[in-house]
Amino acid sequence: MAKKGGEFKELEELVRHHIDSFDYMVDRGLEIMLDNIKPVRIYDPHTDTSLSLYLSNPRINAPIKDVRSRTNRKRLLPFECRQAKVSYTGKFEADVCFQYDGRPAIREKYNFGQFPIMLKSKLCYLRSADPQQLVSLKEEASEVGGYFILNGIERVFRCLIMPKQNYPMSMTRGSYRERREGHTDKAVVIRCVREYQSSLTDHSSVTVRLYYLRNGSARVGFWVRGREYLLPVGIVLKALVETTDREIYENLTSYYDEKYEKLKGAVGSQLLGERAKIILDEVRAASLFTQDDCLQHIGEHFQPVVDELENKTPYTVAHAVLKDYMFVHLPNFHDKFSLMIFMLQKLFSFVDQTSAPDNPDSLQNQDILLPGHLMTIYLKEKLEEWLRKAKSLVQDELTKNNTFNFLAVGDVRKVMDKNSPVTISTAVESMLRSGRLATQTGLDLQQRAGYTVQAERLNYLRFLSFFRAVHRGASFAGGRTTSVRKLLPESWGFLCPVHTPDGEPCGLLNHMTCFCRVTSYFDSQGVVKDFFDIRKSILGVLTSLGMIASLPKLVQAGPPKALSVLLDGRVIGSLPSSEIEKVVAHLRRLKVSTTSAIPDDMEVGYVPLSIGGAYPGLYISTYPSRFIRPVRNISIPCEERQDIELIGPFEQVFMEIKCPDGGNGGRSNAFPATHEELHPTNMLSVVANLTPWSDHNQSPRNMYQCQMAKQTMAFSLQSLRFRADQKIYHLQTPQTPIVRTGAYMKYSIDEHPTGTNAIVAVLAYTGYDMEDAMILNKSSVDRGMFHGQIYQTETIDLSDEGSRSDRSHRRFRRSNTDRSSHSLIDSDGLPYVGQIINPNEAYCSIYNDITNTSKPKYRKGSEPAIVDYVAVDTKSKKHLQKVNIRFRHPRNPIIGDKFSSRHGQKGVCSQLWPDIDMPFSGVTGMRPDLIINPHAFPSRMTIAMLLESLAAKGGSLNGNFVDATPFASTVKAPNAGEAKSEPESLVDELGKMLKSKGFNHHGVEVLYSGVYGTELTCEIFIGPVYYQRLRHMVSDKFQVRSTGPVDQITRQPIKGRKRGGGIRFGEMERDSMLAHGAAYLLHDRLHTCSDYHIADVCSICGSILTTHYQPQRRIVRDIGGLPPVKAPKKVVCHACQTSKGIETVAMPYVFRYLAAELAAMNIKMTLHLNDGA
Amino acid sequence: MESVSYQRFPKIKIREMKDDYLKFELRETDASMANALRRVMIAEVPTIAIDLVEIEVNSSVLNDEFIAHRLGLIPLTSERAMGMRFSRDCDACDGDGQCEYCSVEFHLRAKCITDQTLDVTSKDLYSSDHAVTPVDFSDPSDDNDPFEHTETQRGIIIVKLRRGQELRLRAIARKGIGKDHAKWSPAATVTFMYEPEIHINEDLMETLTLEEKLSWIESSPTKVFDIDKVTQQVVVVDPEAYTYDDEVIKKAEAMGKRGLIDIRAKEDSFIFTVESTGAIKASQLVLNAIEILKQKLDAVRLSDDTVEADDQFGELGVHMRGG
Repeated sequence: MAKKGGEFKELEELVRHHIDSFDYMVDRGLEIMLDNIKPVRIYDPHTDTSLSLYLSNPRINAPIKDVRSRTNRKRLLPFECRQAKVSYTGKFEADVCFQYDGRPAIREKYNFGQFPIMLKSKLCYLRSADPQQLVSLKEEASEVGGYFILNGIERVFRCLIMPKQNYPMSMTRGSYRERREGHTDKAVVIRCVREYQSSLTDHSSVTVRLYYLRNGSARVGFWVRGREYLLPVGIVLKALVETTDREIYENLTSYYDEKYEKLKGAVGSQLLGERAKIILDEVRAASLFTQDDCLQHIGEHFQPVVDELENKTPYTVAHAVLKDYMFVHLPNFHDKFSLMIFMLQKLFSFVDQTSAPDNPDSLQNQDILLPGHLMTIYLKEKLEEWLRKAKSLVQDELTKNNTFNFLAVGDVRKVMDKNSPVTISTAVESMLRSGRLATQTGLDLQQRAGYTVQAERLNYLRFLSFFRAVHRGASFAGGRTTSVRKLLPESWGFLCPVHTPDGEPCGLLNHMTCFCRVTSYFDSQGVVKDFFDIRKSILGVLTSLGMIASLPKLVQAGPPKALSVLLDGRVIGSLPSSEIEKVVAHLRRLKVSTTSAIPDDMEVGYVPLSIGGAYPGLYISTYPSRFIRPVRNISIPCEERQDIELIGPFEQVFMEIKCPDGGNGGRSNAFPATHEELHPTNMLSVVANLTPWSDHNQSPRNMYQCQMAKQTMAFSLQSLRFRADQKIYHLQTPQTPIVRTGAYMKYSIDEHPTGTNAIVAVLAYTGYDMEDAMILNKSSVDRGMFHGQIYQTETIDLSDEGSRSDRSHRRFRRSNTDRSSHSLIDSDGLPYVGQIINPNEAYCSIYNDITNTSKPKYRKGSEPAIVDYVAVDTKSKKHLQKVNIRFRHPRNPIIGDKFSSRHGQKGVCSQLWPDIDMPFSGVTGMRPDLIINPHAFPSRMTIAMLLESLAAKGGSLNGNFVDATPFASTVKAPNAGEAKSEPESLVDELGKMLKSKGFNHHGVEVLYSGVYGTELTCEIFIGPVYYQRLRHMVSDKFQVRSTGPVDQITRQPIKGRKRGGGIRFGEMERDSMLAHGAAYLLHDRLHTCSDYHIADVCSICGSILTTHYQPQRRIVRDIGGLPPVKAPKKVVCHACQTSKGIETVAMPYVFRYLAAELAAMNIKMTLHLNDGA
Repeated sequence: MESVSYQRFPKIKIREMKDDYLKFELRETDASMANALRRVMIAEVPTIAIDLVEIEVNSSVLNDEFIAHRLGLIPLTSERAMGMRFSRDCDACDGDGQCEYCSVEFHLRAKCITDQTLDVTSKDLYSSDHAVTPVDFSDPSDDNDPFEHTETQRGIIIVKLRRGQELRLRAIARKGIGKDHAKWSPAATVTFMYEPEIHINEDLMETLTLEEKLSWIESSPTKVFDIDKVTQQVVVVDPEAYTYDDEVIKKAEAMGKRGLIDIRAKEDSFIFTVESTGAIKASQLVLNAIEILKQKLDAVRLSDDTVEADDQFGELGVHMRGG
């Protein structure tokens, strides 16, 4: 299909959060991160100078071929990386600044190695390419990028759910009680993301917990270098700002007012005063009275823990601790103080049960972790580590080496280079390659592994799903609780309820809905947002609307009189509760208007007053990596036209959004709907959206279809020729479905179709369609239906294999002496393209110059393969070193292959039935391609499959595609002119189409038996249904053996299909044999076909280990050409020194092994032999 | 026991005949005969199709098996097929299947040297036997239609080539039957239906109003009945359009007029529709099928008095001998 540029915009939109986050990292993130790495200081006592080292000016270059040669700077393209099995990386450089006491800094350029580059990011060559250019760059026309190529393998970042940043959450955890004596299980937790001047962030986060104690006080807990430290909250409050006990007391008690007690929205209680006293008493008990006292106390406490500050005054240490670990998102200490007060209020209200705990499993309190962010914080840690290492290296040198010139930058650099800076990028690359973080601090993340996954291109839907997937976190996968897996209403519209795997990762691995986006650093014009300006304008708007701005020493009133306003985790003031609704409505207006400075993705999290509900307040978020989705704001007059509002999961909970499908949804008149869903299918993911009429199916069937769509053997790649993937499944002649949903065209699935429109008859015809088996028409298969191939690539790299010494002497060449494989291997040692290679035949030959021998490589497996393509590496100088040989395995349908419709109706082909024996229609002469059993329907209730059959029949008769978008009937524009008659049902609509073409209204037809030519006794439901061929095929799975390889020790058959092993005949199988009394079969399976062994047993001593076969020296002469008489076997027992009493006994070989093992433990096993009873 | 002769003499009446289409009536026989004829036409009338492909050069986008498969499905003119030998029992070439008695050789050479995509079609196949060529679908009567002309003139597309791509191959076509592989099936569609016998209960019909009559007529998806404009009576316009879907009977019952209509399938007359792939003419297909049916019956008859036949057919053998 000819597509002009921008045709795949919808697809690009699906992966945008990956690319945006990477782009930001390259654009700004790295620079901000480097600027905020603390300089390391090295002091030289000899010269009495100190040197401070810091980094600046990071650059990542576009990928270039062969970094070493300066002359040959060619572009390294992604397809080359895939084929050559190398990584798509660009050079990462930065300046290291050397600054000697007050002198100007000396900048030295450092190469930090090859940094992985995301495809289609700003550094990628594919970024600006249109589909035509992409094809000429040997990519898919619809390539969307968003992944990395590492060693030729495509890997995607697995997005993770994170606790919502900068939002205090009240939580109950049993483990909190065990922290220390006196703790309760209640706490308020906030994950703060570090922010510097002018609202710049490097994404590193620090979690601060405020624990409630049984005595009414609270402790602040935060993590420093992998350990949690607890401080009394009073000390922290006093240390943060210059304040008095009275101020703290007033701040804490301000939320309680007798007037409002028991009223809606009152959160304070009488106990506040008591608690405030306890908190202040604690401080007094430690005889800390002033801010300086508290800072001194904290400083002394943390001096040994924090490095770079060893010799500083406790005051500076305390200051640094509060700055770096306490509410790191707020640079201002007054803001920290106000937030601490707010959190205490929330904690006390939570303890008093005037507000409910926040659910950490609900999407309301969650964000997403994006690749760029993780890479930034990981890189930050690695760079800090490198600087520390550099420091210790230089210091070592200073003490050890007297000639070392500390003042010469060159010398210092030489010492520093012992710890190669190139390892920095290698660490990032290996993080992306393995998905594992190698970190000491844990980076405030919950898991160490599983950050990336391989983006398999089994089919396009599977590939696409990797980018839309969001994982809850590996730590939950092992847990026995199921509460994290629950489908919560909060995730409506953001995470697809249908598209989650069943089984082990169910509910943990979710997929974003097709309209769900993630907020980024870039605005819609692609310009980096300035959060400082944005916040300033929000603040301006709020104050103009009557917000009392928060100021030092100003005591704010609490709910229900006024609500606190938090902007990205900063308490910016309070709004009278009478005004708040108006303010929220106004903010929403500003959000959608293009002229205001308020960003369109701002989240207005208004938590209204309630009795014992969520803690009230106005929580405004502007930061990136939040989920957002578009809805229509219907409270805005339509003439303004801009009514698409982006909402987040936090605010959604408290909004009134109506869905066209749900009517008014039981909404009372007091709370009219202010927003409306754009379309009911917005709650589904891309894959779930492709199921036709999924609203007519039983819900689990749609889930199964989402699974099976991703297992379909489909048209996975158009650029097949330029790929060197391990395994590619490929459907030879795919078709576009006749019945399709709106999403099908929107996401250009036609570029990679996944199935075939098969004529399906629903009848029980031969008995071969029982139990989900299905009969394929042999002639249809003969004509190419469901034909396919598996492409498998073998990479042979001569520099990888063998010992180091003979690497350079090996090359591809065929043997001149051995001509047996000349029909298979060409003179260059590589196979002929198109050649069929049978198992155990050679497909290439490697020649060794020194030994003058050539070693062929043989094909493993049990089926022939065809050489599809041979790609050679032309880069190397003398002769080629690296070769990709792609084999093709034909995979045409045979008995045992798996197929499925798009409605979770899977089945296994049980017969390829001759065409003439298939039932046929008397009118059209049609024979079905496929027969399924009617029993597949009643219990599964996949009505949509029946509808699909009807619609496809009508569609093919009329020559048009049928739209099968689910819930379509609810959004049909109500025709004003049309009378309000009962809308026609879908079946009637489709039936009409059939009837006009002379077919039965219900899609049934009279069929005749193909065998007898007589009319079948009932009418048969027949029509085209889009069928998918699943990748599970017998040819890859069958396992059979009579005899074969055995285990060396036990002589029992080995396991494993690849090695020609057997299938375990286990205990349960044994039980069933016993139950049937099938003794002979049992003996056959467990003994004769296993480790049958005849042992010589000495009946005198009863041992089987002492018997020994003695070779006979007697020569038997040939007598008259007759075969020699076999000498009688002579077995002697060494223990008894005689051959008398030697008997042969059949036994399992493991029994002998057991005897030997026992003997090794000095246990003798004796057998008492007797014959008969 | 005196054996009764069940011998009947089926009659055929041809209704419509084109090269690739035939419609005829088969009367005075039963379903077994009709179905046997259908089955033989689909699966046992031999044709010639490409069976072996030796690929010399293939730099096209399609892989070798795909092209070989496509070549196999191209219908070849197979008038010769009945007289040809199966290569498996050809004694001239010892089962090699490459002699002139049992095979036809084809050559294809195509290379794209321009920037225009080159369509390699069945017209590019060069046959060693002028009697066996890819079927020409261009309709000589349609010469004046330029669009139709170019579309069909080019034949069946095998593969498309871009600049620099080449396809060179040798193909061997052999005789075969549809039972072995669908490519040897000469029939696109063979179907038959029982001739319906429709009786309208005129008395009951007269009790209906005109609207009721019309809605009753409408209930049939195919145009079987119509109303006589003059007499306003329901008349059968096309009994063979009836698909045995029972819609009109159900409708009559729903109207409370059980027995309004009586439709029966005649047990002994069939209307056949035969569509050929073009390998052989539809009329020839029927004749060949009858010929093969006869051969098969001969095979049974000739073996009827052997002991093996008794083993093979059991009681049926006795029955066949007239027992």
